[in-house]
Order: sequence, then C-alpha cells, then structure tokens
Amino acid sequence: MVAKFLQLEWKQFSRSSYFAKGLGIKILMIFLFIYFSACAGLMGFGFFYIVKEALPEQDPLVFLSSYLLFWILADLAIRFFWQQLPIMNIKPLMILPIKKNKVVHYLLGKSVFSFFNLYPILFFVPLAGVLIYNSYGVLSVLVWLLNIMLVSLSLNFINFIINKNNTYFYSIIALIVVAFLVNYYQLVDFNAVSTQIFYPLYTLQWTLILPVFLLVLVYKINYSYILNQFSLDGVVGKKSEIVETKELNFLNRFGATAPFLKNDFRMIWRNVRPKQVLFTGVLFLFYGLIFFTQDIYADKDYVIIFAGIFVTGGFLITFGQYVPSWDSEYYKLMMSQNIPYKQYLESKWLLISTGCVIATVLSIPYIYFGTKIYAIIFAGAIFNIGMNSFITLYGGALNRVPIQLNVKAKAFENTQGFNLTQFLIGLPKMLLPIIVFLIPYYFFGLKAGLIGLAGTGVLGILLKNPIMKLIEKTYQKGKYKTIAAFSEK
Amino acid sequence: MINIENISKSYKGVQVLNIPELTIPKGQSFGLVGNNGAGKTTLFSLLLDLIEPSSGQITNNGVAVHLSEDWKPWTSAFIDESFLIGYLTAEEYFYFIGDLRGVSKNEIDEFLAPFEDFFHGEILNQKKYLRDLSKGNQKKAGIVAALIGKPEIIILDEPFANLDPTTQIKLKKLLKQLSEEEQVTILISSHDLMHVTDVCERIVAIEKGEIQKDLEKTQATLKELEEFFER
Repeated sequence: MVAKFLQLEWKQFSRSSYFAKGLGIKILMIFLFIYFSACAGLMGFGFFYIVKEALPEQDPLVFLSSYLLFWILADLAIRFFWQQLPIMNIKPLMILPIKKNKVVHYLLGKSVFSFFNLYPILFFVPLAGVLIYNSYGVLSVLVWLLNIMLVSLSLNFINFIINKNNTYFYSIIALIVVAFLVNYYQLVDFNAVSTQIFYPLYTLQWTLILPVFLLVLVYKINYSYILNQFSLDGVVGKKSEIVETKELNFLNRFGATAPFLKNDFRMIWRNVRPKQVLFTGVLFLFYGLIFFTQDIYADKDYVIIFAGIFVTGGFLITFGQYVPSWDSEYYKLMMSQNIPYKQYLESKWLLISTGCVIATVLSIPYIYFGTKIYAIIFAGAIFNIGMNSFITLYGGALNRVPIQLNVKAKAFENTQGFNLTQFLIGLPKMLLPIIVFLIPYYFFGLKAGLIGLAGTGVLGILLKNPIMKLIEKTYQKGKYKTIAAFSEK
Repeated sequence: MINIENISKSYKGVQVLNIPELTIPKGQSFGLVGNNGAGKTTLFSLLLDLIEPSSGQITNNGVAVHLSEDWKPWTSAFIDESFLIGYLTAEEYFYFIGDLRGVSKNEIDEFLAPFEDFFHGEILNQKKYLRDLSKGNQKKAGIVAALIGKPEIIILDEPFANLDPTTQIKLKKLLKQLSEEEQVTILISSHDLMHVTDVCERIVAIEKGEIQKDLEKTQATLKELEEFFER
C-alpha cells in the first residue's frame, strides 16, 4: 500500500508544472540545496572549535544549550512560513477500500521527509561526533543527540498544530519578542533558563523519556485531528473564514489608484503566499546587522552599500519581483475591466515605494552604528525608490509565472513565480547601485559616492512619467502572452 | 455596435476560429451556440482583447479592440472565475468594480437592492470571501458585477451553467429587460438551446470555428437548432 502511495506521490512530483521548468532552475535549486546542506554540516563540525576559540572559559555544550530555546522558537517561526503541510489528494482515496488510519499515518510519516528535519541532522550529528572526539562521554552524547532529534521531530508536528490556528502563531511571535526583550534587559536570563532545560538532556540520561513523551503526544494530537478531517465534510466542504471587512478609507487620498491599493492591502493580508513574502521582506531589515556589527567591514564602504540597499529594499525585492503575478488569478478581469495599464502600474509603484519609506523609518535605529551608516541606508532608500522600483516593475513585464495566492511556497521548490529571466532582471538592482556609488566614491570620496547614489534615485523620481510610459508599453506588448501564461494552472 | 471583419485565430497552424464578417447592432441580444471546442470562448476572448487575432479585427463602437483601450468603459463581461477576486467579499468586489467604473459606494448599494431576490440571501452580508462561495453563487456575483456602471455591451460566457432553476428564470427575465428597455447589447453563449432561444433575438451556431447558422428568432428556431445539432 505504501508503495502505491509513493508511486502516486512520485507521479505528482514529476508531472507537476514546476518540475517541467527549465534545466537552469533545476540546477540552481539543487545547487542551493547542496549549499545549505553543506553550510549546516560545516557549522556542525566547526561549532565546537569556534566557541572554544571565542569563549575559552566556557563549555561549548553549555553555551549551545543556553541558545537552544531560541533555536526552537526560530525554527517554529520559519517552519510556519515555509514548511508545507502534508497534503495528499485524499478525496479520490476516500471511496476506495483503504483503511483510514493507514492514509493518516502515511500522511504524517511523509511530512518527516522535509529539509526542515534534515538540517538538524546535518548540524547536530557532526557536532556530536566532534564532542565524542573531544572526550565527552560517548553514551551521554548519543543520548543527548537522540534527545535533540526527538525535539526537532516534535517541532515538525507542533508546526501543524500552529498552522491550524493563527493565535498559536502570533503567541509564538509575541513570545520570541518578549523573550528577546526580557533577555536583553536582563530581567530574566533566558539563556540560563535554556541551559537549565537543555543541559540536563546531556547529563541526565533518564530525561530521554521526556522528548519521547512529547513526540508521542504531538503525533497523537495530529493523528486524531486528521482522522477527524477524514470525511467528506472535512475535505470537500471548504472551511471558510469569517471575514473582517475594513474600509481602508485612509487610502482614498491617493485618488484614482486608491481602489488598487485597497485591493493590494487586502491581498497581502488575506492570503498565505504574500504574507510569507512580506515576512521575508521584514527580515531584510536586519540584514545590516550582519555587516555593521563586524569590524572587518567598518572601512569597506562598498560592502556596506550592499547592506544599505537591502535594508530598505526588502519589500521591493521580495514583493516587487512578483508583479504582476500577484494578480494572476484574476488577470483577465484586470485586462478587460475599465482599467488603464498606467493606473495599475502606478499603484504598484506606489505600494513598493511606500514599503521602502516604511523600511527607511524602521531602520532609524541603525543610527546607533553611526550617522555614516544611516546616511548610506538613506541614500540606498532613495535609490531604491527612484531606480530599483522601476527596474523591478520593468522586470515584471517579463514575468509570466502564475502564483496561487493562498498556497505556501515550498522551501527549495520555490520556483513558483521564479525564473531565470527574473534572476537576470534582478542583477541590475545589485550592480547599478555599486556602479553609481563606486565611480564618484573612487575619485571624490564617500560623500560624492552617496550623492551619486541618491542623485540617481532623485533623477529617477523626476523622470518618473517617461519611465512609467516605457514600462507601460512593455507590459502592453507582452499582454497576450502574460494572459495566456496566467490562465495555465 | 460590434463589427467583426475577417477575424481568424490559429494555434500552431490549427485554425480554431474563422469569421469573415459579423455585425451585431446596438441593443441586440445575441446568442452563440456550439459544441465543446467550437470556438465560443475564443470569440468572446477576442472581443475582450484577451487573445491576439491571427488576422482581421474587431471594432467595438468604432474602436479597434486590439489597438486601443477606449472600448473598456462601455463594455463589461463575465467569462469565468478568473473574473472574480477570490480574497474579497462580494460587497468589496462590487465596490471595487464600482470604483473602476466611477460608481460610488452609495450608488452601488442602491444598485444592489433590487438584486436581493436574485441573490437569495446567500451573497451579501455573508462575511465570506468569494473563493469560499459555491460555484453557483460565485457566478451570480460575477454576472451582477458585470452589470455595474450601465455598460452598453455585456458579454456573458455560459451564464446559465451552474445556476439553479429559479435563478435561471430570474436571469432570463433580467437579460430580456436589459436588452428591450435599456438598449443594452447582450452577448451570451450557451450549451442550452432552450435558454438561448428564450432570451436572444438572434442566434448564431458555430462549428469548428465557422458560422453554420445565423437565425433571427422565430417560432421555428428551436426546432431548427435541434435538428442542426442532432447528428
């Protein structure tokens, strides 16, 4: 029976539309997969020695334990956005003579085969090896490893429970924020709490029963939930959410583009996929922390400029690159209703630019790293609004991959709405700022570089109308192709 | 109102539509019948400039549809679910269409009032997204949205499919009234010969992309169509 299921699964995989995409994408995806796997593995090997080097007086295992609590929360948040629930087309199976519980066990079992369960193995197994090599107790380390694996597996199932309910999700987000704040101001030392929870997993071997118990519990909860769903009502009867209608009247000030903006707000708020993208966009805000906190980059302005572009460009990059795919589900309506292309594109530009402005405001705390850093971010923001926004929209004219709004993108299968053209179009977004910054910078110094960067942005804003005309023409030209591509499902 | 001149459409060398000439005057209710794959939806898609003609052109009130966007203000359509925005409620969707056609929120509320009966209490004030409505209710919402803003041409693809009998009868009345009293040009396609002969003054049957029959409605029309399709 399982073999039959696997056969179905394979057909679904190999015949799905994203698999039929170009060879380039497949290679890129495989490359990314190997890259991230290698990263996790190398981290596992290196972790012990890096901590030993950085904090010679601390036991690396204690140090790790003090952060495992945060790992759990972060892991859950990431899983929530990227891990797909085990979905199988069970409607046709319902009338066939197959035991329900078999299907449910299969569904749950299948979910274990996910990158999110692979990377802990890639990280913790080498780490355990290194620990044993460095004369930690063999048995203790193995029990500890098993413990961690069980916890990670439990997270896999806890994620499903969270997924069914937004309140769970928001409470976890709130928990993370509170934990960080409380920890930062040292009201409660969560690192100490984390150590107290996780270090005993190494020292006390009987603790093994706790994760086993946890795993069995969450598995049972999921099992009975899915079994309950295993009826026509649960599967065929669509669950519909109760809708809160908001008027969004504050958007009326934007005149003719207001209806589109309202739509986009609702689109982002009410669909899984754009929310996922928005979340990624917000993460870009923290991109600067990687660069600004490290001294090696302090005098390398040309590296920091990258960070400057990314900090405010998160929404632009993640959301913008999928224009007009966001409207692919109802593109025929948009093309036959009383909508001039110009207005449609204008509203998208406004949305992207607003995202940049909000990010610029939110990135004010970067002043902490010096006004120079913020000046770079600010210049980057102007460039994003005045230049990158147009490049993004222009690239959209060549983007013909439909997006299903209410379906999550899978990790490493995120080819929906992504293609090589998109990638090539993305390059100028990175290269152009470097060029307009670097040339004046090389001859006249930092200030000139920033003026070059911001100036290009201002120029773009001044030339907005002719640029938008050009973009509009490009969209017009590709109209039929886009409509045809979007109606392929 | 609508002039079709030498329009043809081929996909990879296979011709799916070829109409040398067809004129639909203002205020006519025009029915298009044909088997699956006859080219009904292709013709409607060409009218709405959703696909590119392989040759020829269609003018809508003098505007060539593939060259200008100016025909959009007086033309509206409901072809399939891709004309609905799934994440909006029915009201939000109507208001959105209203915004696009310069009809205010209050006017939309006024416009919707007579449709209460048509909606049968399952569309307005439901606190449901359109994607969560049943197929029939989605269709009702789409058809009513196509009437917003007093369009002069309304194009409906298979409007009777998926509707319950009561609604079918109401819809027929509504379409007749629009064409007779308000001189709206109505184009509908259907598989149901009865419905089409009921509603339309003129019925065109197509087969393999070509016009086979072009009939002004008389007592004998239904019989003639039935004979044509009975092979």
